[in-house]
Amino acid sequence: MAYVAIADRDHEQDHHDPDTFLTKYVWSQDHKVIGIQYGSLAIFTGVVALILSLMFRTQIGFPGALEAVTPYTYYQFVTMHGMIMVVYMLTALFLGGFGNFLVPLMCGSRDMVFPFLNMLSVWVFLLSVIILMASFFVPGGPTGAGWTLYPPQAIAEGTPGVDGGIVLMLLSLAVFIVAFTMGGLNYITTILQARCRGMTLMRMPLSIWGIFVATILGLLAFPALLVAAIMMLLDRLIGTSFFMPALLTLGEATDTRGGSPILFQHLFWFFGHPEVYIVALPAFGIVSDLLSVHARKNIFGYRLMVWAIVAIGALSFVVWAHHMYVSGMNPYFGFFFATTTLIIAVPTAIKVYNWTCTLWRGDIHFSLPMLWAIGFIFTFIHGGLTGLFLGNVTVDLPLSDTYFVIGHFHMVMGLSPFMVVFGGIYHWFPKMSGKMLNDTLGKMHFWLTFLGGYCVFLPMHYLGLLGMPRRYFFYGETQFIPDSATSVNEAITVAAFVVSAAQLIFFINLFWSLRYGKKADSNPWRATSLEWQTPDTPAKHGNWGHHLPVVHRWAYDYSVPGAKEDFIPQNVPKSDENPGSVH
Amino acid sequence: MFTLLFIMMLIAATVAWFVIQRLQDKPWLVQGVIASNHDRGGIFFSAPNVGLWSFLAVVASIFGVFTGAYYMRMDSSHGGVAMGVMEAWIPVGEPLLLWLNTAVLIVTSLCLEGARRAVTHEAIGKVRSALIAACVLTLVFVAGQVYAWQLVSPEVMTRSNAAYTFFVLLTAVHGLHLIGGLFVLTRAAARVSRDFDVDSKPAMAAIGQTVGLCATYWHFLLLVWAGIFALLLTS
Repeated sequence: MAYVAIADRDHEQDHHDPDTFLTKYVWSQDHKVIGIQYGSLAIFTGVVALILSLMFRTQIGFPGALEAVTPYTYYQFVTMHGMIMVVYMLTALFLGGFGNFLVPLMCGSRDMVFPFLNMLSVWVFLLSVIILMASFFVPGGPTGAGWTLYPPQAIAEGTPGVDGGIVLMLLSLAVFIVAFTMGGLNYITTILQARCRGMTLMRMPLSIWGIFVATILGLLAFPALLVAAIMMLLDRLIGTSFFMPALLTLGEATDTRGGSPILFQHLFWFFGHPEVYIVALPAFGIVSDLLSVHARKNIFGYRLMVWAIVAIGALSFVVWAHHMYVSGMNPYFGFFFATTTLIIAVPTAIKVYNWTCTLWRGDIHFSLPMLWAIGFIFTFIHGGLTGLFLGNVTVDLPLSDTYFVIGHFHMVMGLSPFMVVFGGIYHWFPKMSGKMLNDTLGKMHFWLTFLGGYCVFLPMHYLGLLGMPRRYFFYGETQFIPDSATSVNEAITVAAFVVSAAQLIFFINLFWSLRYGKKADSNPWRATSLEWQTPDTPAKHGNWGHHLPVVHRWAYDYSVPGAKEDFIPQNVPKSDENPGSVH
Repeated sequence: MFTLLFIMMLIAATVAWFVIQRLQDKPWLVQGVIASNHDRGGIFFSAPNVGLWSFLAVVASIFGVFTGAYYMRMDSSHGGVAMGVMEAWIPVGEPLLLWLNTAVLIVTSLCLEGARRAVTHEAIGKVRSALIAACVLTLVFVAGQVYAWQLVSPEVMTRSNAAYTFFVLLTAVHGLHLIGGLFVLTRAAARVSRDFDVDSKPAMAAIGQTVGLCATYWHFLLLVWAGIFALLLTS
C-alpha cells in the first residue's frame, strides 16, 4: 500500500492551508514556521546563557565587582551557561532551526513527512526550556555541578542546587531528548523518503548531508544521556546506588553502596563527544554551501566531503574517553582513545583543505555570509589544532582542567559554530523574510564578533599554559599565576562585554531589516540549490505551488564553462541551461 | 564493549545502505533526471515504516546503553568486593513468573502477526479479535512484570543493590515502551470495532498500515525483552 505523505503530493493541493493566526504562527505544522520557532527559542536561551557568562566573567576579571556573584551562584552560572549553550542553544538551533527550515526546501518536498510530530517537537522543546528556566526560581536555585553533572558531587549535599535544581536539570534534559527524537525522526524520514524527482543522495547540498548525519548521531547518542539522566534521577530521588558509592557526608555514612561515578562519565561522554559533531557536522555542511555560493565555484571534492562527514560521524562514537584521561583509566585505553581521536583529524583536515581549495581562484564575493564562512575557517583551524594537543594523553594530563581546555573548546564549539549560525542567518534571512539584512550593520557585527571573539579566547590558551585552573571562583595570591595573568583576565572580560554588546547590532539589524530592509528577490545570491527556486519568497505553505520541482543536476553548477550565467539551478534541464525560468 | 559493538554494527549497516544508494556517482558528470523512489513503481518502504525503524534504532540504542551500564556497574561492585570495601552485587534470582510473562509476550506477538495476515485477507472480524487479545495480553504482561518485582527475597530488595534496581528499571523502561505502543494499538482496535467499512479501500489500507507497524513494534520489543531476560539470567 503506497503511503502518500504531504511531502510527496504533487498535483493536488488538498492539504489545508492554515488560515487563522493561531494555525499559521502558533500551532503551525509548516516546517518553515517551526524552524523559525525553534531558532528563536534557541537564540533566546542563548542570550540567557550569554548574560550568565558576562556575570561570571566579571567575577574572574574584577573579583567582587558584582554582589550577585557569590561562590554559590558562580558555579550555578557556569553550569547553566555550559549546558544551555551546548544543548538548548546549538543543538536546537542547528537541527531544530536550520534543519527544519532547510531540509524540505533543499530536498524539494512540500513539508516534513510527519508535520504534526514536527509541531509537537517544538512544543516539547519549549516545555524542556521552561523546566530548565524554572530551576532559577526554585529554592536553592539551579544546579551548580558543572555542565558535565558528574556524580557523586552533583547530587551530594553541599553542591549548589542539589534540592530542586539538579532534578529539574535532569528532567529537562530527558524532555529535550524526547523533543529531539521527534524532530530527528522527521529529518531522517524526510531526507530518505520525500526528496523530489531526480534528487539522488549524491545531488543533495552538503548542508543536508551535515544535518542528516548529525541527526543519526543524535538519535544514537542522546539515549546515553537519557539513560544517565534516568539513573541519576533515581539516585537523587529514591536513593539507589547506580552512580553513588559508599560516602561519608557531614560525618555520616550514606545508604548508598558500590555505585560507579566512572560509569556516569562513560555514559555522559558517550553522548558528549558525538554531541560535538551533532553541532559541528551541520556547521560543516552549511559552511561548504556558503563558500561555494559566494565564491561562485563548485565545492572542491564533493564526494570526499560527503564521505568525510560520514567518517567523522562514525569515528565520533569511538573517541569519548579522551575526555576522561585524568579519571584513572587503564593506560591502554588512553592509547586507544588517543589514536582514534587523532584519526578524526584526517577527515576533518580533508574538509578544511577542500574549503580552502574551493576558495582558490574562486570569484570571491565578500558578502556577509562569506565573511562569516571565512571567519569560521580561521576559528575552526585554530580550535582543531589545539585539539591535537589535548588528544595526546601526555600533553592532556598537565593541561586538563586549565584555561587551555576552555580556550580550545570555545574556539571549536563556541566561536566556530556561531560563525556558521550567523553566516547561515545572513544567507537565508532573505528566504525567510523576503527582506535583505543591512550590509553595514552586518559588517560591524562580523568584525566586532570575529576579532572580539579572538580577544576573548586566544589569551585563554596562554593562561592555561601558565597552569591557571578552570572553575575557580577566586584565584587570590598564588606562586604560579603572575600579575600579568590578572591583567589578561581583565582584558578578556572587557572583550567579552564588547562582543556581547556587538550582538545587539545583530538584533537591531534583524528587526530594522524586517520592517525597513531592502526587498529581496527570490534568489538574491544567484544560488543553484532548490530553496532559492521557490515560486514565492518567502515560500508559501507547501513550498512549490502546483508542481514539485524536478532535479537535473547537482547543487554546485557554478561558473560552468559555456553557460550563459555563472550558475545553473538544480531544476534546469540540460537542454535549457538558462537560469531564467523556474518551472 | 557490547554497546560499542552494537553501534558499530548499526553504522556498518548504514554505510552499506549508502553504498546501495549510488554514493559512487560522480554527480558533477551525471545530468538529467535519475530514476529515484518515484520512478520505481512507488516507494519501496513507506515513510511511516522508515520512521518506525528509525525509532526502533533509538530504542535499540537505549537498551544497548543500558546493557553496557549494567555490565560496568556489576564490574564495579565486584571490584569493590575484591578490595573488601563494598557490598556485593546480590543476584536477583529471577522469579519463575518471568518465564510465564515471556510466554504471554510471545502470544501477543503472534496475535499481532495474525492480525497483520488477517488484514491482507480482509477478515475484519479476525483482525478485531486479534487486536483486542493483543491489547489485553500486553496489559497482562506489564502487570505480571510489576508483580514479579515483589517476588524476590527481602535481602535482594534493597535500594543499594544495583542488581535489583537494574531489574526493576529495565523491566519498567521496557514496559513503558509497550504502554506507549498501546496508545496506537487501542486506537486501532477501537477503529475496527465501530462500524468499520470493510469495502472502503482507503480505510482498509490505513488499518493495514497501523496493524503492520504495531506488529513490527511488538516483535521488536519481544526481541528486546528476550535480550533483557538473557542478561538477567546470565548475571
